[in-house]
Amino acid sequence: MRALGFFFVEAWASLRRGRTSTAFAVLAIAVALFVFGGFLLVTGTLQRVLDTWSRAAEFSVYLRDDVSADARSTIEAALDRSTLVTGREFVGKEAALARFRRDFADLAAATSDLAENPFPASYEVRFRPEAASSDAVDALAQQVGRMPGVADVRYDRQWLTRLGTAVRTIRTIGWALGIVLALGALLTVATVVRLALHNRHDEVEIMQLVGSPIAFIRGPFVLEGILQGGAGAIVAIVLLWAGYAVLQARFGEALGAIIEPGAVSFLSWGQALVVLVTGAAVGALGGFVAARTIR
Amino acid sequence: MPRSGSWAPPRQPDAILGRRVIETYHLSKRYSRGVYALHDLTLRVDKGEFVFLTGPSGAGKSTLLRLLLRQERPSEGKILVGGRDLAELRTREVQEYRRNVGFIFQDFKLIPTRTVFENVAFVPRVLGVPESQQKRRAFQVLKWVGLQHRMSAFPLDLSGGEQQRIAIARALVNDPALVLADEPTGNLDPDLSLEIMNLLREINAAGTTVLVATHDRELIRLVGRRTVTLDHGKVVELS
Repeated sequence: MRALGFFFVEAWASLRRGRTSTAFAVLAIAVALFVFGGFLLVTGTLQRVLDTWSRAAEFSVYLRDDVSADARSTIEAALDRSTLVTGREFVGKEAALARFRRDFADLAAATSDLAENPFPASYEVRFRPEAASSDAVDALAQQVGRMPGVADVRYDRQWLTRLGTAVRTIRTIGWALGIVLALGALLTVATVVRLALHNRHDEVEIMQLVGSPIAFIRGPFVLEGILQGGAGAIVAIVLLWAGYAVLQARFGEALGAIIEPGAVSFLSWGQALVVLVTGAAVGALGGFVAARTIR
Repeated sequence: MPRSGSWAPPRQPDAILGRRVIETYHLSKRYSRGVYALHDLTLRVDKGEFVFLTGPSGAGKSTLLRLLLRQERPSEGKILVGGRDLAELRTREVQEYRRNVGFIFQDFKLIPTRTVFENVAFVPRVLGVPESQQKRRAFQVLKWVGLQHRMSAFPLDLSGGEQQRIAIARALVNDPALVLADEPTGNLDPDLSLEIMNLLREINAAGTTVLVATHDRELIRLVGRRTVTLDHGKVVELS
């Protein structure tokens, strides 16, 4: 405890003495963690949207106009047998036309001039949420697609997969960018701590000459890095929160119309803690890199 | 004048460093391009001795002190303090060894951003001594060197003599068995130099071994102690 008290007092005094360089180090870490936290926020939101849409995913089995009753029975039996399917709804040609006219009122007039109803009858099939991303649903869609009387099977998993890939790509870019910026921040902290070390060269020399334990000499410099990192992380979290609040106020309503309101939310406590610990760890490493020159 | 406090340099028991405090055997220190700073030096300083190390600039005085502080290792030969070969000490042992050695430099090496009191208390503080003891020890040695009334001042506000007395107080705050001084009066006028030497003599009178490197022949004559004269890294005279 005595050592910790000493580290803290010395580190704090050093930070205060080198206010400008400390501010630069804090800013460098804040920028790195702002980017990292921003990507966490965006990918977290996209992942929640993806999960929500995956749960609501269904596939549509479009029937040929000349489908026989036997063929329909076979299709229905295949769907009912599947343990993946939780329900199916038959949408007849007339119902499909009516739905189009309702959903696209501007285009409704165009359909009245048609000689015959161009919309096919279909089955809308819902399946268990946990099966949404499984290959078994793909297999079922392909199996049904080969059955007599089936014109086409449309399954929205393909674009969900694409969205999932996009989320993973964004996350990877976020990690890569975060790591590069964190390295930059680490070097900044190391330089600032080395500067502090240079400024306190006399003290360090005296500590060495009187036989102070090496941990006692290095400790304040490592703690200085930790404090810079922690402060940078707090600044990043505050900026992220401010940015999130501004975007929510400006675009929250529009977003709510497209995606579920719960999907867009700020970093969880756990994620905020990850950002804070990452900042402190980067600072500690920077401080250690500088302090290890003391032997 | 100092020595008004209740503190006095403690009597050093033999157990701390033994009878023979400093021993060197054919000690050499060679720097790059084969230049010898010390060459084949064999020397012995017993416990409680006050020894002057003198000679012209470049004679090897400071090199010997750096070897004694274990800031450097010998190129050849051995250097022992209290029977322990300094070259063989591991990092942790070097730290323990240095806690028994006080040092005084020509340029004082005081921390300008800390007060007189903080400069002195800095030593026990960085050794993890409890705060109450830090304060008590620092106050006692400052009183002993007669600077208790300047505790809150900063070193650069003091005269050279006062600064060196703070450096002496700092060297003594840990009750070392051996005090090494490298040109401690180099920046002081003759009167102040003698005052500093009197302080060192008092420390020595209590049993602390003192080794002073100086090129001030007049001061050596006034103090009158055993003198080792070096030139080009070799002992040229023992008196």
